[in-house]
Amino acid sequence: MKKNFAPIILSLLSFSQLQAQESTVYVSVLATRLFVAGAANSPTGIYYQRPGEDTTWHHLGAGNIRAFGLAVHTPARGQLIYIASGNGALRTTDSGKNWKVTTGWEITEVLAVCIDPRDEKTVYLSTAYGIYKTHDGGASWQQVNRGLVDPFSTCVIVDHANSNVVYCATEGGVFASSDGARNWQRLGLSVTNIRVIAQHPRDAQMLAAGTENNGIYISRDRGKIWAKSDIGVDHNTFYAIAFDPNQPEIMYAGGYVSGVYKSTNGGKNWVGYHEGLTNLNIHSLAVDPADGNRVYAGTMWSGIFRSDNGGVTWRKAGLSGAQVWTISIQPF
Amino acid sequence: MSRAVSFYIFLLGAFSQVLLAQTVTREECLKGFAQRAQYVTSFYDTTRQVSYYSVAAKYAHNVDLAFADSAIVTLLKRPSGDMFWMFPVIGAYLHGKDKMSPPAKTAMRQAWKTYAPYRGDTENHWCMYYASLFLAAEQWPDLPGTEWYNGKSSEENRDEAKAYLMHWMKITTTIGQGEFDSPDYFPEYVVSMSLLAQFAQEAKMKQRGKMMLDYLFADFAAEHLQGQYIGGFSRIYEPAVYKPLVSPASAFAWLYFNSGEPSQTSWLVLPALSGYQLPEIIYQIANDRTATYVHKERKRVRNVIRYGTEKNPPVYKYTYMTKDYGLSSLQGGILQPIQQHTWSVRFTSGKPFTTIFGLHPYWSGIELGMFFPEEIKTLVADVAGSKGTYNKDDKWTSSSPYERTFQHENTLLVLYDIPTGATSEHIDGFFPKNLEQRVIDASGWIICKAGETYIGWYPLQPIEWREEKENWRLRSHPAPAGQNGYVIEVRSQTEIGAFAAFHEKLRAHRPVAQLQPQKVAMDYTNIDNEKMYFAFPEVRQLNGKPIDLTKYKLFEGPFLNAEVGSEKLTITYKNKRRVLDFKTLRIEK
Repeated sequence: MKKNFAPIILSLLSFSQLQAQESTVYVSVLATRLFVAGAANSPTGIYYQRPGEDTTWHHLGAGNIRAFGLAVHTPARGQLIYIASGNGALRTTDSGKNWKVTTGWEITEVLAVCIDPRDEKTVYLSTAYGIYKTHDGGASWQQVNRGLVDPFSTCVIVDHANSNVVYCATEGGVFASSDGARNWQRLGLSVTNIRVIAQHPRDAQMLAAGTENNGIYISRDRGKIWAKSDIGVDHNTFYAIAFDPNQPEIMYAGGYVSGVYKSTNGGKNWVGYHEGLTNLNIHSLAVDPADGNRVYAGTMWSGIFRSDNGGVTWRKAGLSGAQVWTISIQPF
Repeated sequence: MSRAVSFYIFLLGAFSQVLLAQTVTREECLKGFAQRAQYVTSFYDTTRQVSYYSVAAKYAHNVDLAFADSAIVTLLKRPSGDMFWMFPVIGAYLHGKDKMSPPAKTAMRQAWKTYAPYRGDTENHWCMYYASLFLAAEQWPDLPGTEWYNGKSSEENRDEAKAYLMHWMKITTTIGQGEFDSPDYFPEYVVSMSLLAQFAQEAKMKQRGKMMLDYLFADFAAEHLQGQYIGGFSRIYEPAVYKPLVSPASAFAWLYFNSGEPSQTSWLVLPALSGYQLPEIIYQIANDRTATYVHKERKRVRNVIRYGTEKNPPVYKYTYMTKDYGLSSLQGGILQPIQQHTWSVRFTSGKPFTTIFGLHPYWSGIELGMFFPEEIKTLVADVAGSKGTYNKDDKWTSSSPYERTFQHENTLLVLYDIPTGATSEHIDGFFPKNLEQRVIDASGWIICKAGETYIGWYPLQPIEWREEKENWRLRSHPAPAGQNGYVIEVRSQTEIGAFAAFHEKLRAHRPVAQLQPQKVAMDYTNIDNEKMYFAFPEVRQLNGKPIDLTKYKLFEGPFLNAEVGSEKLTITYKNKRRVLDFKTLRIEK
């Protein structure tokens, strides 16, 4: 029997190449130490760290914008980045040399941003007033709230298997759209005050949601049925959930005074870790696609922490005093 | 001219203005303003302090231009201050652009290219940001996005700024300001509009700037008493909440109404340099207290982004004004986070502590989360980092969801239904130590005298007194329940005669209260025999007839009248009238 091993070999090759690659880490900083509008504040905005740098970070773009979220378009290798900020949605197309505020006066409190992975011109914003969408790379934005209840939203993601499917976390629950955000339907999760939503990087059916006061919920059928994922969990407010992109059964979650929780079985149970974390308020998490043991945790007011052993122990990794709202690790 | 000589000349002028307050002519009003404006800017003309204000004054008055040029280059090496940077910078530029040295001009242009100010998160921030950006975009009209800090072209910046300013003016003149009547934030709006009125090249925006200045000053004038803003305020800080004349708005009362204490605060510099002339009718309204009056207003709650069903619910403000005092209240509830001042009586005697007020000191992540997008579990600590009293149970500014008021003329009823476990369960009252009298009467009334103003406070629950540095703190913390309240009666010697007569009247009038959880109410017949019934939260009856707050107009009183949604304010004083019509941008006289 003749077997074709080429795909397996290619797959192994690309995996090993990925393992060998190093990554660039981008973070959004809402504030560094106390922020008072009009005062001489230390820089907010986005910072990045090149491959191999340990605790050194480089500021990128404007320094007074209070950055909540960021989105890096992976195929463009850092050339196309959006920032969700107090000044609106900013965009660079040349790796941060030049920036443009793409939104106008009416779009304020932009809290998260997501670029359609298949169409860089299509971008979504989560804001205090719901969801906005552009289909022309930020030249124009439309509010797309039809069907949303309590539209204050802190997270929006595009389904990696189908760009017409979009999910958002709102005060009114988890909502999904199957027509590119023209219409929204509330999914089957009964609790409200959703802070974050994440999709399994391979299994598009699996979603995880972090909530205010109600812990973590997981759905394995694209949001129809949700189950509370609380075995081993002693906290109830979660701002961040991250999958290991190479071993997606490994998940991390963090939130209000929670430290970092890790699950190695897709959320069936969790183990809490906090050794080395001098601040347990976690607002952002990301796993390095080049090395699943390397995990980053962004805190509220203590900068960024890094683990090199899959979240078991942590050490400070810079940006002391910062509120690190979002982390994005890019394989380049 | 030295600062001291300048001050004496100014005092002479001020004294003559006081004498003429009731009969001032247009010419005298303008002359007095010019004298006061000169007093403000005289310091900035001569100082060697490096600031945008001293630069603006020197350019405007054509003095010490070399210093101004050098200062602007120095200042622009390290810009900071966001929208608080934008307006003095563009102000300095507009006063000096025809006199500036090339390096100063280059530094100015470069700053607008490279320094990205934070836009902010509230009405005064946006107003300053966009008024400044509009003027800057007009000055450099044809530049591409690469020449601006935000990547937008001059045209895009001008159009966006104009659109916001039009929106702000429309919402203000249809449903009211969100950051209304703020003794601390009044200057931010006046300075922004002064710059527009003086420097906008687009004629309609220039006119809008002038009309909004009239609007803001008219709003203040109707609630002004000898330099004090009377309120009920959206936002006020300590110490202005208990020392009313130290607020920035009082400096504007002095400059424009010739009332209160002289000031050389930098907030006054750009308005003092502007060509804006306060209409005489507004000056008269600010100063004529020969008749008592009731003035009512509708404002709006700042943008509610969550935990609410309405983005901008209405605020109802009721003010009773006399020549000796003003009693004023908002309806209560959470109308603004952090710095709300729900009610107070302010009087003309006993400076600087010319007020008595009460509050429920409340704080919560939910309150902050209604208005700020950050995480509610950490917001309290974040806010307390910059506004240190926010989560203190002895603070003097607060909103509370458990507080409601009912005012009729110079009688005010206040009720609280505070659940067990609230961030604080007590209520506090501020009483200045320098009151001439503070009598704890056997009838239950606390009876105070401040000059010719008499204040009665009848607590519905037991109280204790705490002596503090400059005041007495009334604290009422009934155990175990948080159902509470009080009656406030205020009269002046003119209204009621001797203090003893007020004392006597109060003794004969006491409320009947019901104080159980979710059943908090009182019946009270005031000393003018008006029957008031108030049940928490929203049942108000006067002489058996329900009071419907939703019928409040935007302005209603002897001086100001405006319908909700009208974009038109009618200002009236005796036989004079001035109508600000924002739909047509015309001023009818």
